[in-house]
Amino acid sequence: MAEAVSREAATPEFNPWPAAILVSLMCLAVLFLAPTIGVILSSVKTTRDIAFGELWAIPDSLYLGNFAEVVFNPAVHRYMINTLLVTAPATAASIALGVFAGYVFSKLPFRGSDILFLVIVSGMFFPPQVILIPLFRLFNTFGMIDTLWPIIIVHTALGIPICTLLMRNFFSTVPNALREAAILEGANEWQVLVRVALPLSLPAIAVLATLQFTWIWNDFLWPLIFTNSDEKRTIMIGIVNLKGQYSVAWGVQGALSLIASIPTLAVFLFFQRYFIKGMTMGAVKG
Amino acid sequence: MEKSNRFWRAILLAGPLAVFSVFVIWPLLSSFYYSFTNWNGFNPEYDFIGFSNYTKIVTDKLFLNAAINTVIWMVAAILLPTLLGLALALLIDSRVPGGTIFKSIFYLPICLSAVVVGQIWVWIYQQDWGLLNTVISLVTGETMRFPWLAKPDTALGSVIVAWSWQQTGLSMVIFLAGLTSIPEELLEVCEIEGTSTWQKIRLVVIPLLAPATVVVVALSVINSLKGFDILYIMTGGGPFHSSDTLAMHMYNESFRKYLMGYGSAISVVLFLVTLTVIRIYFRQLRKVDEIHG
Repeated sequence: MAEAVSREAATPEFNPWPAAILVSLMCLAVLFLAPTIGVILSSVKTTRDIAFGELWAIPDSLYLGNFAEVVFNPAVHRYMINTLLVTAPATAASIALGVFAGYVFSKLPFRGSDILFLVIVSGMFFPPQVILIPLFRLFNTFGMIDTLWPIIIVHTALGIPICTLLMRNFFSTVPNALREAAILEGANEWQVLVRVALPLSLPAIAVLATLQFTWIWNDFLWPLIFTNSDEKRTIMIGIVNLKGQYSVAWGVQGALSLIASIPTLAVFLFFQRYFIKGMTMGAVKG
Repeated sequence: MEKSNRFWRAILLAGPLAVFSVFVIWPLLSSFYYSFTNWNGFNPEYDFIGFSNYTKIVTDKLFLNAAINTVIWMVAAILLPTLLGLALALLIDSRVPGGTIFKSIFYLPICLSAVVVGQIWVWIYQQDWGLLNTVISLVTGETMRFPWLAKPDTALGSVIVAWSWQQTGLSMVIFLAGLTSIPEELLEVCEIEGTSTWQKIRLVVIPLLAPATVVVVALSVINSLKGFDILYIMTGGGPFHSSDTLAMHMYNESFRKYLMGYGSAISVVLFLVTLTVIRIYFRQLRKVDEIHG
């Protein structure tokens, strides 16, 4: 409609705006892409080439040695498996707990539930450093330092605020009449949650799965604090350790950085369609 | 009916509340407790030393330095990605060809971790062959060998640029979602009335983006508080503590010097500062709610 109106109103003069916007967007896009292209370039060059200032030049030939070194390195396999062992259960558990709490706050409110909801949501804003020392002591007492358990547990707990917030907002858009009808038909609350509310909330789950997976996979702080042996390190610590090991292994670091980013990119591309939709419905209009 | 509601409330809330209390609320309270002790992190015995850790904070020059850096970091790490994201969203929303491609390009950095982003930008700022120095050398014709991350004057600012590069895509996506909810008729009225583009953006679009702005600022606050990783990777708080933030300072005191009691005191202060920020935020949120229903 807007286009039709503007076309009618338009004078035959040349309108420079669309072209100017396109050009400025293209310049910004190049600026934004440059850093990522740098990593891709580094991964197909030898560290020697990079040290001689060749990183930002277009390569004549592709050097795949960096990838070979990363892909066939047993330490890298271990880092990837550890990271997956942390990310998958913590993502699933935090979303499940958020679904439960969000359902109660939305469909079964009680006196004081608003305040309880605010307390949980405000947990989202705290810097994680505030709870770091007591958690370290707690897990140390139970001999869980240098295992993957503390990382899984802490990510589950810290994911509860955002999951509860989004699920409550989303469940609020599910009409109460649907729940009442199902209950009249003889369904219990659990069946309403699983068969009625959840299927309608898949976009919200997709948003949370993307956010949680990305945050936990990319996390650096908690594995840094809770693990110390190479056996239990996650991939992000692995990248940094690699730096310490060789001091100059830029090409290998580039290759490992790329490989470490594939899972989060894949998750984002997979959920992308729902992600924007869920953001719009659950977050912006909530 | 009410009895069954009570039953399901208890069943469904038991899990989340238990996990949240034990692993978030309880440690939060414990931090207050440890801040009055001289616990060193591995020795099971420790003494109560009253307010000593807090009096130490007042005289600790490094703490003051870290607090100032934290304020600079928070303000810049919230403002820059928000403004840049808004600008990008407005440009893309003007129906340029290839909007989807631009959206993906600007969003891409969000998928990368702080470790990978830090890594990339260390290479951009690299003294001898970094992209920034190379480009400056090409443009000016003089050889530029400036160590951006190794100079106290530029270290924190350089990290902020890297951070903004990563975070802009997120605010852009949310602003774009907000823009789609603005009624088309409203914008048509503007065009018929002959409003200039700038007036339209300033007087119609930006006020209507208030709910999206609330979400963007919330996410920026949350993310910038977690900005420990990228500083740790890129500068480690250096050189000469010029990019130390409170989180960094707390990490150094607790896990490098093993002064867990003092580290707890720093985190308590950090907590109180955050609490103030949250209260300001919620007050603003209520205003927006009143206007937008």
